[in-house]
Amino acid sequence: MSEMLLKARALCGGYRDFQALFSIDFDVAKGEAVALVGANGAGKSTLFKTLVGLLPVKSGTLTFNGRDIAAMPAHTLSRQGLALVPEGRRLFKGLTVEDNLRVALDHARTVEPGETVWTLERLYDLFPILAERRRQVVEKLSGGQQQMVAIGRALMAQPKLLLCDEISLGLAPKVIGEIYAMIPSIRATGTAIVIVEQDVSLAQRCADRIYCMLEGRITLTGASSDISREQITEAYFGVKHAVG
Amino acid sequence: MRWVDAIIQGTLLGGLYAQYAIGMSLMFGVMRIVNIAHGDLVVLLALIGISLAAVFGLGPGFLVLLLVPIGALVGWALQRFILNRLVGDDPLPSLIATFGISIALQNAMLAIWSADTRSLDAGALASKSFQIGEMYIGLLPILVFVTAVILTAGLSMVLKGTKFGRALRAAAADRDAATLSGIDTKSIYAKATAVAVGILGIAAVFQATRTTIAPADGGGQLIYAFEAVIIGGMGSIWGAFLGAMVLGIAQVIGSRIDPGWGVLAGHLVFLVVLAWRPQGIMSRK
Ligand SMILES: Nc1ncnc2c1ncn2[C@@H]1O[C@H](COP(=O)(O)OP(=O)(O)OP(=O)(O)O)[C@@H](O)[C@H]1O
Ligand SMILES: [Mg+2]
Repeated sequence: MSEMLLKARALCGGYRDFQALFSIDFDVAKGEAVALVGANGAGKSTLFKTLVGLLPVKSGTLTFNGRDIAAMPAHTLSRQGLALVPEGRRLFKGLTVEDNLRVALDHARTVEPGETVWTLERLYDLFPILAERRRQVVEKLSGGQQQMVAIGRALMAQPKLLLCDEISLGLAPKVIGEIYAMIPSIRATGTAIVIVEQDVSLAQRCADRIYCMLEGRITLTGASSDISREQITEAYFGVKHAVG
Repeated sequence: MRWVDAIIQGTLLGGLYAQYAIGMSLMFGVMRIVNIAHGDLVVLLALIGISLAAVFGLGPGFLVLLLVPIGALVGWALQRFILNRLVGDDPLPSLIATFGISIALQNAMLAIWSADTRSLDAGALASKSFQIGEMYIGLLPILVFVTAVILTAGLSMVLKGTKFGRALRAAAADRDAATLSGIDTKSIYAKATAVAVGILGIAAVFQATRTTIAPADGGGQLIYAFEAVIIGGMGSIWGAFLGAMVLGIAQVIGSRIDPGWGVLAGHLVFLVVLAWRPQGIMSRK
């Protein structure tokens, strides 16, 4: 496998008095696409929030680009190239589409020579509807368009690794298709991507590798092409569940 | 003519309230902090200014140049060392903290400057006025009002069109999401409070030339700023400006009806707005 971008070992984390992650081993290689699946409450969002520095690492190690990031604050990590499209989009309400994007652009990672730079123009090429809507406040946009802004905002930070938490939630199938269609374009720039997705077959199609989570633990991992649906279902619900 | 004059005088009085209110509105809008010590900070800066003027013989213009950076530094330190530890979804901890700071400041000022009232001599500026028809309009009130307009417009432009302003609005809208976009929210908050208290450096000079100042006067200043912010809509900069105008006009009209009613009329208008439109005149909600 090529060089590791993100590496978590025996990672534990959670909330003030509630442990939600137990000894997580999680890797993402440069430019790789990974899917993270699991039932409601498995700890997928908690893992993402811990990786980006919004929640503290309680124990274990966490490195990004070879650097120890376990104690780094989220805003520093963003400037190192770790971006999250958060659950529920979390756009800046009251700001226009373009201002939402500019905020991230203002504080983006400094790209190295030869790297692809995400500009407003490049993003508007990817999502033309956002160019039309760029002077509107984000609340006026449809759910799908808002999700495009959320993804765009994360891209403006010039990430090396993009974490997407349920970007299809609550959207119509056609819109989901439009949004997932951008994944190859993002990967083409060399950005690695991790998606959390309820639709397991969609996740399997998009990703090189899959991690399954259950009750705060990684229960299954492997190449998307090697893992069967039955294995995933088992890892998803726990061994005790009969598969119907 | 009497009422036109009252409205003009009220607007000019509102100019001073606006200078307190916009900073307060900024702090509330960005950090959900209701700064109870806002009025005491005006008094502190005014007393520092009066002492500097007495020792070095400085005029009001020079004082502004000194007090704005002093205010900004005080604001930055206040946020960096105290308030940043308390900001969050719950406005109560910062409310209690600024209440404590208010009392501590009053006691410190009393110890340093004693309870005496003081003021600044603005020289010729204080007495100059224009005659328009039958009305006389003082140069100082006009200066106060124009300054308030410039400060409000300037602050609002900074919020709309600069990197700093975008970061402030983003942090106000969603703190975690702002952090995820690379914004160091604590540093942004410290800068916001520096701006809010820096503006008070200007207000302090005007306040001290207009009237007398004593260490315990902060509460009186706070209540006007607070009412202006509520009338206009919490967190809106132009709302705070408008609220200050409404409050100033209400006070002057009240005092023309009966000399004792000025302040009361202001409070009444505040209560009416609170009952009729609790989110404030300029609020989008
Ligand atoms: N803010 C919080 N405080 C305390 N516990 C929380 C908090 N947020 C989530 N949890 C708990 O942490 C566990 C993991 O939740 P998490 O949101 O990470 O799951 P998830 O896999 O993202 O689920 P979903 O598919 O519903 O988004 C759950 O038991 C949840 O109840
Ligand atoms: Mg989740």
